[in-house]
Amino acid sequence: MTLVRVRHQLPGLLPFLLPALLTGGGVVLPLLYLLLRALEAEPKAFFEILLRPKNLELLLNTLALLLGVLLLATLLALPLAFLTTRTDLRGKRLWATLLALPLAVPGYVGAYVLLAATGPGGVLPLPRLEGYWGAVLVLGFTTYPYLFLALRAAFLGLDPGLEEAARTLGKTPLRAFFQVTLPQLFPAFLSGALVVALHVVGDFGTVSLLRYETFSYAIYLQYNAAFDRTYAAWLALFLLLLTGGLLLLEGLLLRRLHLARSGKGLGSKGRPLSLGAFRPLAYALLLLPLLLALLFPLFALFHLASRFPAGGLVGLQEAFWHSALVALPAALLAVGMALPIAYLRVRQPSPASQTLERLAYLGYTIPPLAFALAWIFFSLRGVPFLYGTLPLLVLVLAFHFLAEALGPVRGALYQVPRRLEEAARTLGETPTGAFFRVTFPLLWRGAVAAGALAFIGAVKELPITLLLAPMGYSTLSTRVFSYTQEAMFAEAAPFALFILLLSAAFVGVLLWSERRY
Amino acid sequence: MALGLGMAQQTLTVYSGRGQSLVEPLVKQFEQDTGIRVQVRYGTDAQILATLQEEGSRSPADIFWANTSGALGQAAERGLLRPLGESLLKVPVGFVPASKTWVPVTLRLRVLAYNPAKVKAEELPQSILDLPRFAREKGLKVGWTPTYSSFQDMVAGMILLHGEEATRRWLQEMKALSPKSYASNPAMLDAIRAGEVDLGSTNHYYVLRFQRAGYTFGVHHFKDGDAGNLALVTGAGILKTGKNLSAATRFLTYLLSPKAQQYFVGNVGEYPLVKGVVPDPRLLSLEEALRKTPRLDFEKLDLDRALRLLRELGVL
Repeated sequence: MTLVRVRHQLPGLLPFLLPALLTGGGVVLPLLYLLLRALEAEPKAFFEILLRPKNLELLLNTLALLLGVLLLATLLALPLAFLTTRTDLRGKRLWATLLALPLAVPGYVGAYVLLAATGPGGVLPLPRLEGYWGAVLVLGFTTYPYLFLALRAAFLGLDPGLEEAARTLGKTPLRAFFQVTLPQLFPAFLSGALVVALHVVGDFGTVSLLRYETFSYAIYLQYNAAFDRTYAAWLALFLLLLTGGLLLLEGLLLRRLHLARSGKGLGSKGRPLSLGAFRPLAYALLLLPLLLALLFPLFALFHLASRFPAGGLVGLQEAFWHSALVALPAALLAVGMALPIAYLRVRQPSPASQTLERLAYLGYTIPPLAFALAWIFFSLRGVPFLYGTLPLLVLVLAFHFLAEALGPVRGALYQVPRRLEEAARTLGETPTGAFFRVTFPLLWRGAVAAGALAFIGAVKELPITLLLAPMGYSTLSTRVFSYTQEAMFAEAAPFALFILLLSAAFVGVLLWSERRY
Repeated sequence: MALGLGMAQQTLTVYSGRGQSLVEPLVKQFEQDTGIRVQVRYGTDAQILATLQEEGSRSPADIFWANTSGALGQAAERGLLRPLGESLLKVPVGFVPASKTWVPVTLRLRVLAYNPAKVKAEELPQSILDLPRFAREKGLKVGWTPTYSSFQDMVAGMILLHGEEATRRWLQEMKALSPKSYASNPAMLDAIRAGEVDLGSTNHYYVLRFQRAGYTFGVHHFKDGDAGNLALVTGAGILKTGKNLSAATRFLTYLLSPKAQQYFVGNVGEYPLVKGVVPDPRLLSLEEALRKTPRLDFEKLDLDRALRLLRELGVL
């Protein structure tokens, strides 16, 4: 019977299947590349690499960092998402914009600021924060917005009727929240946490500056100091094994989850919770990440800049447009690729659709430098006319940031009642038709959130942009890189500021789109 | 057809490990002076070397312009570079590699930067090998930058000059001082300025930049030929994939011209490698700089061995 159903659905699913498979291919190629390079190792070297005790140390360090950052990010994101959606806090949208902004602070800038600010001679009278705690702090405060945005979207999409029903059944508000609301947030939490986790596991900018040895730090060293592609490829494969474990865990936790409302139409807006006596505490919590992750880096950036006299603002305008011109289509493309993958995953759960989704996440943890090298290798052999062109850069950035776009799209899809789509189907729509007429309009918020995340990621991204951009094409991030590489902080500051501004505009767009509901 | 060829010869593709902020003005000047259009891809030496290897014979690049002789040595070893003509190789005053596949363009020296309020110039040791003992006796706080390529080059230089055993001992003595590690040289110099540490080995132009911005630093050169004065050469070579030999040769010739060399001294703070350039009064003269650095074959610097040693000792 199921076979009949599948055969019946297949023609309608084709429009989803094809882009999804193409996308999967785009992520698999870099994986193949790593295998290709890894297998170049001679047998003796192979065992040396494989059995190095250092691997265990790197693994434990990476896991410890992961736990620390996830904990910190959750402690920040959950109450903040609650405060900006469910309470009578004034200016919720403005707060939400500001709180999402630390997303625009690249980890390497955060780490540099931390190093410059603490220790003797720093701006703050604190001992120098480096190693584990420094990395937890910087990564926690720069990645919590992923979780914050996912949870916020979930809070907004939640049907308060459920909580109200629980209340009428005699539960206290607190118990209703923990027993009814919190479980509903779980898929959003998982997708946000997964992106944070992938980010932490793949980060090398922060950990290399703060000298905390994780897998990606070791990979960075191999590429940069030792010119060793083989060893770097092996470490990257170990890293992917770790990511595979994380994805498996996420899959187990997400299994058999049914969260869409079964009622009619859209959920009603609940009455906001009065903060009452907790108001000062709420403000303190809202201000903490703003101060630490936004205002303080800005202050420190200008403080650093003031140490050296500034030069001119060569190419600021050009770099701004170049960044927008790359990141905008990359973000659109990433969302376009995320939609069919998320759709197949949620609506047609099968080992194949799960694998496809996992691949996209796996691709995200391939070190960007290896990702770029893989595309140099394959594009020159497969599509040489694309090499060194803007479309290739856009495409590769979209492949890389697809994973960031998947979470919000998937989260939104989980909250769209399946019955609406099924109703459309019984009225004679194809799956594609039903998707575009019924589901997509309800996914809008998730898709915009996905696009904003991919956009901001693409603006900050460095190695892929450096290696695949057309010759002589400078973006904001490549300019920041070239100035900070030569320790010209005054010159780098305006470019870093513009990364922030451009991202801020996009966070604004993202939150503005919520107004439609 | 002839026109097409003529047009093609007027565009040059350079892969630069040197920072855009440093060399872009010079590239623009070259375009103005010669009418040859230059396209530059910027990155780090390592990124560019990896890129060149992945591109293989399909690389569009004509020139590899690098920050380190190590990256150029690797490119030469992997057969990516074209042998250069004698007329080009005889221009620089020294440091021409045995492979004759790239020209040295500028020079940086390793120096010891120190806080003059904490250390007296005349007390400083004559060799970097004596630095740990000196710091211990005087109770000085030491900074270092073990992840930075020039530091690693210096360790490779010590291995070549004094052998692996002596280098290991030196690293162990340094480690025993619990030196403060910095991810970059400016961060370390800022720490010296602020009194967090008292001294550290660095590249001369970082100190020069702080000095030009008005900060006070002591700069110490060890005795002539000491590993602590190791010269680090930047350079450029023509790639075998280069389609544009004459323009590429003109570019290298231009880098060694008095005009370009004066730019490096004035804007970057590096030592020139040709005679007749007006020096920065804060720096040693070219002759003194050449006397200070140890004489060794730079293509013999074994970076892998240095990295292995650093890892073995847990420094990296």
